[in-house]
Amino acid sequence: MKTRMIIFLLLAAVAASAAWLLLWNHEADSPVARVSWDGALLEEFDLNQVDEPYTYTFKHESETNTITVERGRVCISEANCPDQICVHQGWISDGTVPIVCLPHKLIVEIVGGGGVLDGGAG
Amino acid sequence: MKKRAFLLALALCLSALAGCQREPVETTVFAMDTVMNLTLYGGWDREKTKETRDWMTQRLTDCDELFSAAEGNGDIARVNQGAGQPVEVKDPTAELLSQALELCEVTGGALDVTACPAVTAWGFTREEHQVPSPAELEELARRIDYTAVELEGNTVTLPEGMELDLGGVAKGYVGDRLADTARADGISSALLDLGQSTIVAVGTKPGGRPWRIGVVDPARPGAYFAVVELQDMAMGTSGGYQRYFEQDGVTYWHILDPDTAAPARSGLSSVTVVAPSALTCDGLSTALFVMGLEEGTQFWRDHPELEFEAIFVTESGEIFRTAGLEGRFSLAEGYQDREVVVLE
Repeated sequence: MKTRMIIFLLLAAVAASAAWLLLWNHEADSPVARVSWDGALLEEFDLNQVDEPYTYTFKHESETNTITVERGRVCISEANCPDQICVHQGWISDGTVPIVCLPHKLIVEIVGGGGVLDGGAG
Repeated sequence: MKKRAFLLALALCLSALAGCQREPVETTVFAMDTVMNLTLYGGWDREKTKETRDWMTQRLTDCDELFSAAEGNGDIARVNQGAGQPVEVKDPTAELLSQALELCEVTGGALDVTACPAVTAWGFTREEHQVPSPAELEELARRIDYTAVELEGNTVTLPEGMELDLGGVAKGYVGDRLADTARADGISSALLDLGQSTIVAVGTKPGGRPWRIGVVDPARPGAYFAVVELQDMAMGTSGGYQRYFEQDGVTYWHILDPDTAAPARSGLSSVTVVAPSALTCDGLSTALFVMGLEEGTQFWRDHPELEFEAIFVTESGEIFRTAGLEGRFSLAEGYQDREVVVLE
């Protein structure tokens, strides 16, 4: 009886561990655009819940970035940063390459959506 | 009964062990003129992983100051202000400079860490861009010469008028050191994204699969054209699209040819290097961009000891990759009809 119980408990432990590992690569289904400033989360936009395109304006002192959100994608459409790299990058629609406005320490990234990549180089 | 309780507790602990690894310890750091993301999957002791993360964050901040070529009290800034006099630097700076000079030599000067005055003259350091005159460029090119840098122990002597810029290799050096720290702290799985142009993978993803990294399409920097699988490997990309400006219809990018002090026009739009050392990836991606496809391919053939593989994209969009990436390289969705030439 004791032996059976031990085997049962060990099998339960292995099954639970395996379940965790199997669930490992499953990501949230709905893509969400996250806007963060200097490492702190400011806003989140569910990109599957966009009926009409809209904008969100980030303001910090004299720094501004206008973020345009459409269904499934997001971009920084206007900014008063000196290099304009964030504006030139255009739309992103998956989590591989975030939009970074380095002068304003602003990041727009997409999480979830079942992306299969762990990062982007370039 | 006690035994049962003990075994039940053991089972729960085992489950928890598997579960507690699921959430990584992450951080975002603004340093070295870029934004970095560290993702660490440690063992059961999450607090220890957080300590490692905090140590890494501090190390990045310290190295940012040490290696910055701009004004300040960092080692490289002091060397640049040394006016020809010997300057004592800390161990990491001496180590980085030594490794960087080796790369300069092995690439025959295609990588040159003394291009700082030229980078400044083009306005890339302050984002106030301008095109220097041909006479200025000639003068600037004369001041680019890594062989004039003297490094003895921790003492650096730089001729007056010359300046160091380790921006092309510093992130790689730091990436290698952070990866060493991760391994020493028992972190078997980590992705160190030091601003996208430099990525270091420690181990595999939890679960044993390699990390899958997209390579940015230089023609559409919001998309990626290929996927490279990394396991205990680093990756570095140099591309004209990363920092550039346009004037009178001409695009000028930040990767300069040390021979001309002007943007390197080798026919390439990006080079990605995969190697065990992030510093090698950083330095060689720049050097191969300067060399161009033909010379870069020959360099790859001639230097198996550097253990690197490369992906070249030409300005007309052709894709070339070295043979050693077989099984680790694939075209991304939307690019699967593109031809990839395998370099042997």
